Amino acid sequence: MSNQVTLSINNQSITVPAGSTIMEAAQKLGVSVPHFCWHPGLSIAGVCRFCMVKVEGMPKLQIACNTPATEGMKVDTVSSDVKDAHKWALEFHLINHPLDCPICDQAGECELQNYYMKVGKYQSQMEDEKVLKPKALDVGDTLVLDTERCILCSRCVRFEDEVTKTSTLGIFNRGDQATIGTYQDRKIKHNYSYNLADICPVGAFTAKDFRFKCRVWFLKESKTVCPGCSTGCNVNLFQNSNQREYYRLKPRHNADVNGHWMCDVGRTMYEHLNASARLPAPLLNGETVSAQAALQAVTDALKSVSADKVAVVFTAQFTSEEYKTTLATLKTLLKTAPKVFVWRDESEKAEDFDGILFRGDRNPNTRGMMDVLKEQGVTPVMLKGDFSALASASAELTLIFGPEVEAGYPNLAKALARFVELKKAVYFGNTLSESAKKMWLRMPVKVFAEKNGTFVNFNGVAQKLKANPPVFVAVKGVDEYFSDLGKMAQATL
Amino acid sequence: MAYVNVSRDPARNLKNGYLATSLVGMGTTLVTFAKQVFGLEESNTVQWPEVEYQYSERFKGAHFLTKRPDGRVRCTACFLCATNCPAQCITIVAGESPDKGVEKYPVRFEIDILRCVFCGYCEEACPVDAIRMGPEYSMAGLAERKWVYTKDYLLERDAVKRKVGEKQVSKKDENTKHDSVDSSLPNIHAQGSGHGH
Repeated sequence: MSNQVTLSINNQSITVPAGSTIMEAAQKLGVSVPHFCWHPGLSIAGVCRFCMVKVEGMPKLQIACNTPATEGMKVDTVSSDVKDAHKWALEFHLINHPLDCPICDQAGECELQNYYMKVGKYQSQMEDEKVLKPKALDVGDTLVLDTERCILCSRCVRFEDEVTKTSTLGIFNRGDQATIGTYQDRKIKHNYSYNLADICPVGAFTAKDFRFKCRVWFLKESKTVCPGCSTGCNVNLFQNSNQREYYRLKPRHNADVNGHWMCDVGRTMYEHLNASARLPAPLLNGETVSAQAALQAVTDALKSVSADKVAVVFTAQFTSEEYKTTLATLKTLLKTAPKVFVWRDESEKAEDFDGILFRGDRNPNTRGMMDVLKEQGVTPVMLKGDFSALASASAELTLIFGPEVEAGYPNLAKALARFVELKKAVYFGNTLSESAKKMWLRMPVKVFAEKNGTFVNFNGVAQKLKANPPVFVAVKGVDEYFSDLGKMAQATL
Repeated sequence: MAYVNVSRDPARNLKNGYLATSLVGMGTTLVTFAKQVFGLEESNTVQWPEVEYQYSERFKGAHFLTKRPDGRVRCTACFLCATNCPAQCITIVAGESPDKGVEKYPVRFEIDILRCVFCGYCEEACPVDAIRMGPEYSMAGLAERKWVYTKDYLLERDAVKRKVGEKQVSKKDENTKHDSVDSSLPNIHAQGSGHGH
């Protein structure tokens, strides 16, 4: 028996593994079949009855999501009776759906809205009053539930049962009284809750973090990689480009890295990108200077100290390209490799893993950094809670590359206090922490959303970042600073 | 057979000449002037600003925000006016309303009136009849005036109260809400739902 079956959809033939459904075959072929309850990352429920297709030889229309593809099957998704079925299925879904779109955060990316525009009936024939249900329920720290908007597709229930295995949600009551809800005295509290707002095809689950902040049609998405931990989930980052303000992250499917999901910790990775959370310009002895002047100060300092009195402290939150440029420039200028330290947070448990996506190593590029250091022939010294190695190096110039995501460094202030004691410390980072104020020189740097570069995740998968326009135009990336610095030093030789 | 003789240049005719027509026009002016001086005819000139001209109710002048019957702002901060505005002069910041039946309301609602082109698209886009363009047309002011209309100004300014009056309260139907929306109950079981209506 063959492991492959060949069927035809709208007279286009497609071969899929045996056991695949018509929906999967259609997706593979690029034919869109309207659906609500089917989600590629969850089990099949077949409850929304929206993905009707016509199969030759079957007396009635079949649902594409739960009908296995068989050899020689002939499927039609465009005939008039299929369109009619979609139209009426949608009419039934809309019977009790409130006209909430003006205050619903999902409006603009709502599957119900989109399908209504595509296959809707436009003139409802429903005469009875809509059934009213509880709205704006607090179901946890991250989500708001509106049971009236729900179309009972059960995606959230299956997510809770299958992905997080927390089973907090269920469908209660019957008929038009059926509502989605949490079991008594239980709340949604796990690290993957925002995925519920993502998979909800309507606005029943909305994220508290994003609630009423911005309408989605003002947002532009860019494809990037989450810097929250060493898993390196593929994400879409949403920015209001008129305001230069970032609002949220959503997962992007990548079967090799994160599948369909991402964690709630990763969802906060937009906060440190916005102007209010960042250092806008270099501070030399606490005074704002131009980037040019700041780099000149670093160049002069590099020249005035002997090569063995220069130390570099890395955190694994920069791109591989940045490490490469930094080390190469320093090697050229100093004629030898500087002493390299790697700063890890005291409380870090790098091997921790929650079984789904989130890892204890809160640095996105540990592997990439180590690869570059090895390639450059540098053996780093670890600084984890104990900074005596750095102190005993008695460096006269220390270049510190601080963490971009400070949430992964709960003991940041403690470490900064140690760095301030050093003679001439240059801090590359956007921290607004009080402890950093006494640093000799603080250089603002680009954040992950503004860089072109590579993160290598825990598994050795190298992933490219794509740059958005920077929030502060004058702020550059570490690699750009060091290539400028290299040129400056050459010019004054 | 009737025909018009066009062989002569009409400009040469004394009746169509420059001087003659000017005098005829001056005559009309003098007659009207005399009639109005002696009160035989009413003047069309409005003595603005002492007298205000009454435009039609459909006149699209300065914006105002309508109210709910209880006096609160009608706007739900859906951003449709801001989206539709070709001049991008509307700035809204939405917030969570203390009344759960309303959910969303504008914390800030501002119109940069210098950018506004008075096209009326905001009014068109509004799904809840919250923003209207009023009868007010004299908006001149000095440079130091604030040219951004704030939410309070759009809701409460005297000109709106005087000219729009009772019509500022929108009669549009309120959305009906389930009883539970006003409660702070954490989940659906607490209100004992299940059977009956």
